[in-house]
Amino acid sequence: MALLDLVSEEIVKIPLESKDKPDTLRELIQILKDAGEIDDLIAVLKAVREREDKQSTGLERGIAVPHGKTAAISAMKLAIGIAPQGIDFDSLDGKLSKLFFLLLAPPNQSGPHVQALAEIAKLARSQAFCEALVHAENAREVVKLLKGE
Amino acid sequence: MSIPIRKIMVYIDGTEQSITAAQYAICLAASCGAELFVQYVVNTRAVEELLKARIFLHDEQVEYERDMEADAQRYLDYVSGLAARKGVAITKKHSKGSVHKEIVDAIHENEVDLLVIGELSRIGSRRDEFYDESEQAMRGVPCSVLIVKDQERVWNMYESMG
Repeated sequence: MALLDLVSEEIVKIPLESKDKPDTLRELIQILKDAGEIDDLIAVLKAVREREDKQSTGLERGIAVPHGKTAAISAMKLAIGIAPQGIDFDSLDGKLSKLFFLLLAPPNQSGPHVQALAEIAKLARSQAFCEALVHAENAREVVKLLKGE
Repeated sequence: MSIPIRKIMVYIDGTEQSITAAQYAICLAASCGAELFVQYVVNTRAVEELLKARIFLHDEQVEYERDMEADAQRYLDYVSGLAARKGVAITKKHSKGSVHKEIVDAIHENEVDLLVIGELSRIGSRRDEFYDESEQAMRGVPCSVLIVKDQERVWNMYESMG
């Protein structure tokens, strides 16, 4: 399954309301809960926090890619959150994170999970595109940008 | 007249679409007497990219590659079982590296006539970042390619096969 198959307006939130990292992780997962994509928010949060505790998924240039594997879902899930003002996500370059891609997968879909994460990694290399996403006005615009429309 | 399809290769990656493709390939191999190869590629290239991008930690690289190896075995065994149920013998192929490159190499190595793949992403994007490994392979292989759609129809066809 390609990353784009996971993209819809329902899994995009702009702007995020959280002001710190723990709340941001919860808010990203809440996007999926509100969209009916997950049932067990606590189990998913635990999986994401376990990964985050090893090392922050806040990368450089304002992008963060929290991710995890959990048996609480049966298919890959993506949530996109955008915080134009930036959130302290303990990023590798010390700067605030503005663009969040949360990607979850069940334990038996490591291949598709890796593929989807690799697509995010490639996307993150385009600074101009990431800037465009951060400055999008709403979820519809984010989806249109991702689809290259 | 030479037989048009002597060797079929189906690429599986654990997705529902690829399993549907495998079912179709089994039916096709049985009906035309073709040899059937089933290919799974452990995408170590993508894992290396994630490590370089610092999205993955080193122990994640080890964990995911181990999980993908286990997935490879599981899905190849599953498809082998599907084929055995219909009296079709398969050759399991398992490699690691860049997915589309491994598929192309396997096609050349085994002189495959037809590559069978699962349905591609329904949502296209004009952005280069969103690429489908199966689609890249489809464009790169020297043989014909069959893209399998309509999961329900294929399942019924497979189930009704003697």
